[in-house]
Amino acid sequence: MAVGNKTLQDLLGPISKQMGHTAVAENVELPEWEHVPWRCTDGMNQQQLVDKFIEEAGKIGITIVRTPAADIAKAVAGIIQEGVPEAPASCTVVAANDERFAAAGLYDTVSGLGNVSELTVWDNTKGQANVDAAEKATYGITYAVGGIADTATIVQPSGPNCGRTTSLLPLVHIALVDAATIKPIMQDVMKDIEAQGGQLPSSICFISGPSATADIELVRVQGVHGPMYIYYVLVD
Amino acid sequence: MNVLYHNDVTLRERVAECLQDDFKHKAIETAQEVFYAKRGALVEEMGEGWQELRLRATEIRNHVTENLDYYVKLFAENAEANGYIMHYAPTDQDALADVIDIFEKHQAQTTVKSKSMMTEEVGLNEVLEEAGYTVVETDCAECILQKAESKPSHIVVPALHFDRDAICDIFTEKCGYEGTSVPEELTHFLRRYLRPEFLNADIGIRGCNFAVAATGSPTLITNEGNGRMVDSVPKVQIIFVGIDRIVPDLQSLDVMEALVPRSAVGSKMTAYFSVDSGPAHADEVDGPVEAHIILMDNGRSRILKTEFEPMFRCMRCGACLNICPVYRHITGHGYGSIYPGPMGVVMTPNLVGYDEIDTMVFACSLCGACSDHCPATIPLHDLIRAHRIEIVDEGKNHSNEVPVFKLLRKMWSDVGFYKFAMSAGGPMMRLFADSSKGALTVNSTWMPVVKGWTSTRDFDVLSKDRFRTWFKNHKPLAAETPVQENQGTEGGDA
Ligand code: SF4
Repeated sequence: MAVGNKTLQDLLGPISKQMGHTAVAENVELPEWEHVPWRCTDGMNQQQLVDKFIEEAGKIGITIVRTPAADIAKAVAGIIQEGVPEAPASCTVVAANDERFAAAGLYDTVSGLGNVSELTVWDNTKGQANVDAAEKATYGITYAVGGIADTATIVQPSGPNCGRTTSLLPLVHIALVDAATIKPIMQDVMKDIEAQGGQLPSSICFISGPSATADIELVRVQGVHGPMYIYYVLVD
Repeated sequence: MNVLYHNDVTLRERVAECLQDDFKHKAIETAQEVFYAKRGALVEEMGEGWQELRLRATEIRNHVTENLDYYVKLFAENAEANGYIMHYAPTDQDALADVIDIFEKHQAQTTVKSKSMMTEEVGLNEVLEEAGYTVVETDCAECILQKAESKPSHIVVPALHFDRDAICDIFTEKCGYEGTSVPEELTHFLRRYLRPEFLNADIGIRGCNFAVAATGSPTLITNEGNGRMVDSVPKVQIIFVGIDRIVPDLQSLDVMEALVPRSAVGSKMTAYFSVDSGPAHADEVDGPVEAHIILMDNGRSRILKTEFEPMFRCMRCGACLNICPVYRHITGHGYGSIYPGPMGVVMTPNLVGYDEIDTMVFACSLCGACSDHCPATIPLHDLIRAHRIEIVDEGKNHSNEVPVFKLLRKMWSDVGFYKFAMSAGGPMMRLFADSSKGALTVNSTWMPVVKGWTSTRDFDVLSKDRFRTWFKNHKPLAAETPVQENQGTEGGDA
């Protein structure tokens, strides 16, 4: 038999046969799971979840900045002004195209900073230019759709107003996340996504800390291919 | 199938070589200890929840395996509905042929890859390179291995057998590196060195940790971000998905993600966990425009409805390697399989058959630590024992061992005896040991279970950490047995 170009039936046939099935079942219901694991976030109220999120973030090299919603521009500007050691004296910034950023005056504030030479707001009509800007940028700013307390994770989908590379190519990722969206564990986020239905984003990235490796003698090094630094701006 | 490597020498020779490499197994020892301690702390923090999580994962994975044809179909249909171009690969050859077709169609020149065991399994790099394509491994460790033309010594941290100076030399010689051997500097060099490779690659190739049937979503766990780069930058993407990677729904991912990083490296979470559902939408400017899934069986389905079926639960976390006393000493290279350690000893013969594996299934002391640590509660040591028994049944073993293992089978299939022997293990053996040597000697050949081992070499008491010393001391004795007599399986090799 020639190799390649096989059909789903070619793949399924031997599997079904090995299982003693004459046909693939039409429908299989999920069973009631017998085991319901205890999780450390069980019974926590929202305040405790936020505290847990902050505590876990501290353990994995994330800097947290808390701010009221009205002051997000100031909070982000503060991070960029303070800078990171590897940042050039004059740097560029890429940011998601988000109404909340515009409403808070974040774009104006950031582009007015003395050490910012250029701000690119994600614009899907400009195609590859966005990615090129992200590649050059020292800072990438996004608004996460949620957080997970257990692991200090943020949930970052891709979309027309915020690409996959906005939070990936820059040296520093600044992610805003609403404290109210912090859920206990990943399962809660998944439940919400399932409940929403419809077409899923082409990519949902669960981000927990800066990119890192320990491949050389198990020494942890931050900043491999993704951001070397990550800030969560926790919006109250 | 490229599962086995370095099989121009016998397992015994490979093991002997590994045992001499002090740096290598010191590195593995350290890794085991570091991961073990970190994992232990996290497991403790979870209390009872940990066992429940393992059992939930077991339930979920069993449910999928019991309905595997249904779930493979469901995943395939939903992935296709998401816009993935599906390729079905009953065998590795089918997978390779389809990948080559994609390269030809796009007249691709270069590809960036993030770590994927399945692509190793099919020997993808070799085939692509032979066909004239440039393959760039982008995981830090895989990149080191590729430049050094070496093989992984661990499934999670594959380049442990190189120290920083060796890596510095490799980068200096192969990549024009000019810095010091400080890991931070080496790593940041890689960031600069590989960035253009990502940006210029025609095709990205990656694996898939779990494939969500209900939503047709492949997922990817990475720390370095190279997986995300492969997933975000090249315009064409190829995703290798094994039929043993499927979970029913998005919620199941929570259980898997709670178990895998903790078990693998003692972290609560990796830096990135991507859940993808198709190529970039029309209104998005990055992500792949065209995304292919190679859904591959390659011998996996053979174990359905056999005693090896629990292996379908394996999440490739490497926890069984991190606890294994044999792995600790012979390292990943001793096994000569890309799947080493307890999971490899079970999987490798399942994939390639007994004829090819030399004495690999005997590279295990049946201590059971792996089974206790496996997040998917796979009874690894039982399965290794089952392999040994099958080998005996097939008559592929050393003739001395036929009666021994036949008897063993009877004894071990008696659950009561088995439990007793396992719990009694060390103390029981000490009873029979020649106290002056601290090991079972020829005097113990009356013991049916160990006869055949002890008649050619002494059998170390199931004690802490002595395997390596034992092997070294007994090498001359072992070598007395002519090689041709050892072609089948033969106990005590490793
Ligand atoms: S067998 Fe278990 S412990 Fe070993 S890699 Fe697979 S899931 Fe992990």
